Amino acid sequence: MKGKGARADKAATAVFWALGLITIVILAFIIIEILARGLLTAINPKFLFGKPEAMKAGGGIFPMVVSSLYLAALTILISLPIAIGAAIYMSEYAKKGRLSNFIRFCLDSLATLPSIVFGLFGLALFVVYFRWSYCLLAGAFTLAILNLPILLRSTEEAIKLVPNTYREASMCLGASKWTTIRQVVIPTALPGIMTSTILPIGRIMGESAAIVYTTGLFIRNIPVSPFDTAAPLAGYIWYAQSEALVPDYRQIVNGGAALLLIIVFAIYFLARWAGNRYQQTKLLGPKMK
Amino acid sequence: MTEEALENKMQIKNLSMYYTDFKAIEDVTLDVPARRITALIGPSGCGKSTLVRCLNRMNDLIEGVRTEGQVELDGENIYQPGFDTIGLRRRVGMVFQRPNPFPKSIYENVAYGPKLVGIKDKEKLDFIVEDSLKKAALWHEVKTILRESGQNLSGGQQQRLCIARVIAVQPEVILFDEPCSAIDPVATQLIEDLMAELKENFTMVIVTHNMQQAARVSDFTAFMLVQEQGEPGRLIEYGDTNTMFTNPTDERTERYITGRFG
Repeated sequence: MKGKGARADKAATAVFWALGLITIVILAFIIIEILARGLLTAINPKFLFGKPEAMKAGGGIFPMVVSSLYLAALTILISLPIAIGAAIYMSEYAKKGRLSNFIRFCLDSLATLPSIVFGLFGLALFVVYFRWSYCLLAGAFTLAILNLPILLRSTEEAIKLVPNTYREASMCLGASKWTTIRQVVIPTALPGIMTSTILPIGRIMGESAAIVYTTGLFIRNIPVSPFDTAAPLAGYIWYAQSEALVPDYRQIVNGGAALLLIIVFAIYFLARWAGNRYQQTKLLGPKMK
Repeated sequence: MTEEALENKMQIKNLSMYYTDFKAIEDVTLDVPARRITALIGPSGCGKSTLVRCLNRMNDLIEGVRTEGQVELDGENIYQPGFDTIGLRRRVGMVFQRPNPFPKSIYENVAYGPKLVGIKDKEKLDFIVEDSLKKAALWHEVKTILRESGQNLSGGQQQRLCIARVIAVQPEVILFDEPCSAIDPVATQLIEDLMAELKENFTMVIVTHNMQQAARVSDFTAFMLVQEQGEPGRLIEYGDTNTMFTNPTDERTERYITGRFG
């Protein structure tokens, strides 16, 4: 009997180990495949810092890189304050009941909508009705709405992870609820909030359906104003693959994909590093003589 | 116990408290003498923690809590409409069951309360931090590591840090809600010694399920009990700690103190 149990245990361990391995293999395969095809192009300065060409080969991708980063920054700038504010309301103030259930239901519905729907909504509202035309701001607002449910949920989770004993201790020292939230809850949750912001950044950088209709597909100059037309990488990759007239479109697609991957990873690690650093320095305060 | 006239810092008068429909404590009347330690003892679930949390209105933070009766601080009912609860909690501080320093440095933990009332001057803050840590008998252990996280300290040190954090606000009353239940005997001893020293300046109330602790540290003891499952907690007996432990009036107190139940 004992032998049988031990064998079953071994088999189960092997199965779960193998399943775990599969996820790693898939991720590794994708990363290696993309980098193998595009890394050399991506790090070539002429490609990385060059201007794109409309008709002939040898065009660069720099305005698209700037577009992607600009768009991501704008989107986070718009959605993070709303997400943090709403998450504070949901986790600290809202009473459990109909209203908070309804808000949650709306958020979940919003999260399940396909991104192309947001794209068309953004086109109708920002591009056409507001007459902003195709521009970064239209894309940023569209993506902000698209990402709000995830951002809000993960921010709320980060805030809920702050132990209630911290709130009690703060209140007992004569802090108001708002002071407690500002001085204790948010600083404690901030590393978590930063980590939870990364996932949406990856999604913003990778989103194409929602920006094709709002931000633009091809530009030659670096966008400066939020009202400039832009061409984020993901959308441009799609455009180069399916519509572009340049002969070296394959290289652009591969290089662009590799570059996108590198940027998203870089942001991921940067945000984690910043989160840890914040925890170590900011929370520990000034030196005493 | 000397025969000097005791002034009452707090007076609980016919206090009942409900969680929505459930009555947690009923008709408690109890005096808390100034600059003495009052212990609340009783079996788990008898409402002693609930009662102590009524003294600085921490129960207000829980949805559906309702109170009847009065709690007076220096003769003023803290449950009167419009009473400043934030000011109240500055006057009546609290140390919790589990040490709960903020994830900030030792310095920032102690400076948190003074900063709330607008003290910004660094020299002044430095002084308060040092003074409070000294009063909490922690200064010598932490004076070189003030910038390290308060959460890196041992459990007993964390609890003394929490006491320093409360002292820094200069409250009049300090409530201890089973302050030693999560720390080891040596650290417990340190905290009990500390409480004896703090008695000079502070009025203290300690909730404990450890009767030896109540006997060791307190001047007055109140015994609470839930008679039957589902009934509210009531105050059974209250008196001088010596009398309570050697010659209790109520049979239930005697049975509890001699360890025959609870």
